[in-house]
Amino acid sequence: MKKRYIFSCLVAGATFMSSCTKNFDEVNTNPNKTTAELINPNYFMSQAQLTFSQTGYDQLLFQSMWVQSLASTFSYYSNGDKYVLGGSGTGYYNRTWNRGYSALTLVDEMKNLIKGKPEYTNLDACGSILRVLFMQRITDLYGDAPFSEEGMAKAGNFTPKFDKQQDIYAAMLSQLDAAINALDASKPAPTTDLFYKGNIPQWKRMGYSLMLRLAMRMTKVAPDMAKTYAEKAYAGGTMSSVADDVKVMTDPNNNTSSNSDALLVPDDFREVRWAKTLIDYLQANNDPRVSAIAEITNGNGKRANEDRTTPGINTASLQLGMPNGYDLLGGATDISKAPGYPGATPAVDDKDAPAPDGRYSRPRLRVYADKGSANFIYTYGESELLLAEAASRGWNTGVAATHFANALAADMKSLAGYNATPTAVVSDADIATYVAAHPLLPGTALQQINTEYWVATSTTFDFNEAFANWRRSGFPVLTPVSYSGQYITGQLPRRMPYPITLPQTNGANYNAAVASQGADNFATRVWWDK
Amino acid sequence: MVSLRIRKKLGYSVSTVNGDALNKAKETNVALSLQGRVAGLSVGASNGGPGSSARVLLRGLTSFTAGSPLYVINGVPMDNTQRGASGEWGGADYGDGISNINPDDIESMTVLKGQSASALYGSRAVNGVILITTKSGKKNSGFGIELNSNIQFDKPVDNTDFQQVYGQGIQGNKPTTLDAAQASGNLAWGSKMDGSDVMQIDGKMHKYSPVNNYIDFYRTAPSFTNTVAFTNGGPNGAFRLSLSDLRANSIVPNSYLDRKTFNFNGSQQVTPKLTINVVANYVLENSKNRSGLSDGPGNPNNVQFLAPNQDQATLAPGVKPDGKELTFTDDSYVTNPYFAANYFQKNIQRDRFISSLSAKYDLTKWIYAQARIGYDKSNDQRVDIEPTGTAYRNDNGTMNQSNNQITEFNADALINAKHDLVKDFLNLDLSIGGNIRKSSYTGTFINGQNGFIIPYFYSLTNFTSRSSGPLTDDPFSKKQVNSAYYSADFSIKDYLVLSTTGRYDVYSTISNSVGRGIFSPSVSGSFIFSELHKMDGVDLGKVRLSFAQTSNDATAFANTVYYNLNNSVNGVPTAGFSSQLPNLFLAPFRLKELEAGLEMKFWGDRLGFDLAFFSRRTKNEIINANIDWSTGYTNRYIGTGSTQNRGIEVEIHGTPVRNSSFSWTPSLNFTYVKNKIIQTDGITNDNVSLGTYRPLNANLALVAGLPGPQILAYDYQRDAKGNIIIGDNGIPVQGALKPMGSTIPKMYGGLNNSFNYKQFNLGFLIDYRFGAKVLSATEYYSIFRGLNKSTLPGRETGVVAQGVLANGQPNTLNVPAQTYYQGLARNISASNVLNGDFIKLRQVTLGYTFNAAALRGTPFSSIGVSAVARNLWTIMKHTKNIDPESGFSNDVRYTGIEGTSLPFTRTYGLNLNFKFKN
Repeated sequence: MKKRYIFSCLVAGATFMSSCTKNFDEVNTNPNKTTAELINPNYFMSQAQLTFSQTGYDQLLFQSMWVQSLASTFSYYSNGDKYVLGGSGTGYYNRTWNRGYSALTLVDEMKNLIKGKPEYTNLDACGSILRVLFMQRITDLYGDAPFSEEGMAKAGNFTPKFDKQQDIYAAMLSQLDAAINALDASKPAPTTDLFYKGNIPQWKRMGYSLMLRLAMRMTKVAPDMAKTYAEKAYAGGTMSSVADDVKVMTDPNNNTSSNSDALLVPDDFREVRWAKTLIDYLQANNDPRVSAIAEITNGNGKRANEDRTTPGINTASLQLGMPNGYDLLGGATDISKAPGYPGATPAVDDKDAPAPDGRYSRPRLRVYADKGSANFIYTYGESELLLAEAASRGWNTGVAATHFANALAADMKSLAGYNATPTAVVSDADIATYVAAHPLLPGTALQQINTEYWVATSTTFDFNEAFANWRRSGFPVLTPVSYSGQYITGQLPRRMPYPITLPQTNGANYNAAVASQGADNFATRVWWDK
Repeated sequence: MVSLRIRKKLGYSVSTVNGDALNKAKETNVALSLQGRVAGLSVGASNGGPGSSARVLLRGLTSFTAGSPLYVINGVPMDNTQRGASGEWGGADYGDGISNINPDDIESMTVLKGQSASALYGSRAVNGVILITTKSGKKNSGFGIELNSNIQFDKPVDNTDFQQVYGQGIQGNKPTTLDAAQASGNLAWGSKMDGSDVMQIDGKMHKYSPVNNYIDFYRTAPSFTNTVAFTNGGPNGAFRLSLSDLRANSIVPNSYLDRKTFNFNGSQQVTPKLTINVVANYVLENSKNRSGLSDGPGNPNNVQFLAPNQDQATLAPGVKPDGKELTFTDDSYVTNPYFAANYFQKNIQRDRFISSLSAKYDLTKWIYAQARIGYDKSNDQRVDIEPTGTAYRNDNGTMNQSNNQITEFNADALINAKHDLVKDFLNLDLSIGGNIRKSSYTGTFINGQNGFIIPYFYSLTNFTSRSSGPLTDDPFSKKQVNSAYYSADFSIKDYLVLSTTGRYDVYSTISNSVGRGIFSPSVSGSFIFSELHKMDGVDLGKVRLSFAQTSNDATAFANTVYYNLNNSVNGVPTAGFSSQLPNLFLAPFRLKELEAGLEMKFWGDRLGFDLAFFSRRTKNEIINANIDWSTGYTNRYIGTGSTQNRGIEVEIHGTPVRNSSFSWTPSLNFTYVKNKIIQTDGITNDNVSLGTYRPLNANLALVAGLPGPQILAYDYQRDAKGNIIIGDNGIPVQGALKPMGSTIPKMYGGLNNSFNYKQFNLGFLIDYRFGAKVLSATEYYSIFRGLNKSTLPGRETGVVAQGVLANGQPNTLNVPAQTYYQGLARNISASNVLNGDFIKLRQVTLGYTFNAAALRGTPFSSIGVSAVARNLWTIMKHTKNIDPESGFSNDVRYTGIEGTSLPFTRTYGLNLNFKFKN
């Protein structure tokens, strides 16, 4: 009797247990996420485009001031302004790397999900073009980097080898070529494309412009290959108007512009200014862009200088660039010691304080601190400048002077696209006057073209590109800043060091890359910069 | 859930702490009171104010993801989820599960150290088990009332020993303008303090001489606990009902914890064979303004880095006349301490109900069946407000609210039979049972967008838009484990016992294709040789030996590839996926342990000791390894980890003096644990990165072959002759990242003494630890900001660092002191690795009990008065500017990392206990 009790309990228990484990798959299913069957792979493309474009502090902290487009007295910006580590210093090295690869992995996953599905041919090809776009920024900044083994964690490779930049460029060119050829306007287009709303001919032109940019990067080290691909791109048809500009309009509510997020931080707003080098150049050329991009604080004193709601005064003659390499610390490098210091704006009452940076020009509030502004990635004007340079070198890419004139006009027109409501507008008349006054002269072609490239990429806040093209072309000629405690002295940085975690996460390959490319510092030149 | 069998026979080590030790000198988190009391147990806290979490580790770092032991209240496991801790980027400690328990309700806490015990509690018991027995009514006791009142004061202690020569300023100059003063509030790179007038943050002139009063920002914080308990016991049943109210103020102004608990414990013999027991514990907790820790934003503890001449009062009230934050450094992310304390809000409100119902039915004299259901449910509401005027915000401030629900459900049934297989010789005690455990952590959040519309109106209605949604990632979790278990004890007479247990767990988090089920066996034996062979003076002599294996499951949802929708861009949908790579082949990890012990008692328990040796090793631990983004992911789960712990635990207790009026009962415990990470990823054995500190130039990691968590820091670079290499900027060059020691102590324990003289009793506890390192952000900041005494040389003359240049020539470069020491701090983090050894007088209680005779004619049967104190005296430490126990997180990944958290406190108080006559 008692034994039967026990036995029946045991049987009941065992049955109970096994029946209860049947729903274990359901228990271990995350109800707030979805899987491959339901997800729309297009959505990875929009996320990748957004992620890649939201550079914010990645380049503001370094490249924007290395190329002397912006300047700041604020300690956080000493990284770029003074070549002195500030804030988390070395912790910022990884920013462009991580952003690039996190955008790449989205595209890789998208391509995996649509593999072998013909209805996604165009999405797949756009994905391939995006991969090249993303990879170029990474390798241009760091040099050798994983590409052939990139994004393979899912396949079990956790320590990808670094490809030499030379090999990356070769691979990017061939992959890009294949992707452009695969685009087919008769097939379904990507549905959530933030660049072109799925317009395939525009993608094709963008693809060729990207090929052109890859080609022109190699003018110093592989001019023959550069020529081949530049001519191929031109023949294929590059971007043809500012409507082809590659940019992402951010969302003022859910995905605000990371540039505006940074500029609206009180310290940044108060102390980030256009650099003297840039503003001086624009004013010397009577460039109408000055009043499109720059303004000085409306009103005196620190309170006005920190007021992030009132637009400044953009009258061209009042604009003044801040020299790089100064601070507010009261010592020898205090901004008040800078040559031509205009003086602080005085306090307006006893609750206020003077604003030492108050008379220097800041990026216009309604343009650059607009939460829904554009993140520019590559413009028609830049593409035209590259064609102009190729033609100047005697390559078969059309007429240099025409491309240059196109570029000047386009660079000014593109600025109107910075905001949903055009704000940085240069009038057609001003454009025409400027273009007429600045013809391309054979003797100074490279300097004119590449300096304009620097102006264009600075005014569209694409400092990654400004830095890359400056390294390649040497224009404009920049004087390094001197300051105590610099991480590089007597010269401008030529490269970003690798993320500081790499020796731990991928040590052997990191060491191999350093052995092959040179010391992991700011001075080592990447392959195309030799 | 077999309750502890006859302890004398156990084949593994247990220790019990009585409620008395926990509820006179109180900690708001009762787990902290266990420190120094139990061999094998090490306890750490985060300095986050009252109710902060505890880090309790048994027998070292059990596994890569070691955490607190499983807490079991009256036989039912309770939830002990950590509700959010701070990391290198700041945050606050929102408490854990054990911090809700009222110490006054605790009868005793019993620590089961070995895995043999744990085999009966399943996966979470790999970290050990702590059984909490709550107070209950006793049968036939009659009606009783007990009132306990406690008042304690936490007093902040300044542990810094900063330089007092140079004042606020930069590059050797004191500030001359308001701007300069407000840009350098935490920099002591000024000139020599000469008593002259200097511009300060409040816009007024002050004397340029040391004040050094940052500690005055904090307050001496009183806390009050009142508990009233009613008990009754008749012939067939008994109950205890307690009501308790705690108000614990933090030393940070405006911050406190309120806790009301209701505890009911009742048992009733329904029929002669059926007994029913009900336990219900309701907790209402309201914690206001949890202090920000570690990183600067919203952190009041930024006050600790004021230059010596700066009066902390100049930062008050934290706002400028225009209502905006008064910043005191050039980094707006370093929040003004008064602004953080007066305007920021980090509140958490918790309703929690822990209940259990059990029925025991005696089938025969020697067989009973028992069924039990336990349910523990908490609702947390967290509100974080970044107020209008916050310097780093580019809008009117923001507000986030989250509502989380944590549940833990347990149902178990067992049958126990006790029978002599051979009469009066061989006895079998057999239990067979099953258990179902379901746990979940779900929640929703609402975040304000684009800042408050109307300044200073802190409501979720005051936004142009809000983002909201359910939790989608960790801690979002749902798990179930079904288990069947048995335990069988064979005893020969009373001296030889052989026990075996087995448990079969089926985990929902493991995929079916891998195999969800895993069997964990244990076998243990004890031989009470003193029963077999009587020896003079020996009351007990017992040897024991056990072997056990346990397992632990994985994180929920970790073995499937998931995609999630993200915020749209101007109406265009976007989607992504976690940067955490899922592992489709996760299997449960295993822990094997061998334990041997010897326990002896002599001369009527005048002297006794318990000695245990253990060796334990894990296999196939599931680790979350960092990988580089270029792989497409930042982390991956991998089941290859292996950790080994070997150690000795000694408990010695005695009663050297015992007579009618005086007794002295000292007890000493000592633990030595040697931890070693055997394997990490199994392929390259790369380090597994754990937590770091805000300066980011050093971190904790698991390093194969070394004890974990190991501090990795940058040392100097040296040439072949050992000379320090100096860079061309005159600053020592950063050398390799080197392991600098583990943050978990190798040796620790306590010495407790209790004296009774007539109605007086005096108890004190000394505890100690050796062999633990600390990674100190305070050290980094004090060097970087010119506060550390080591930054004095070269202030006037500049520093020529001793060492050689890259070309081998002696360095002659002269660098200004500020530039030099700041560069040094950035490059060389090895100097922030400190020796964390200490000996402390942890607790003192001095009490007097009025006896019945003295209380004749009063309604009381007894009154106890105790003066209590905790953390009274640090007898030994090596750290110059911090308390060696400082920390900002209880997470094991952040063990031993400190910086910008609340200062150490000393506690004094008075405890009154009244028992009414019945």
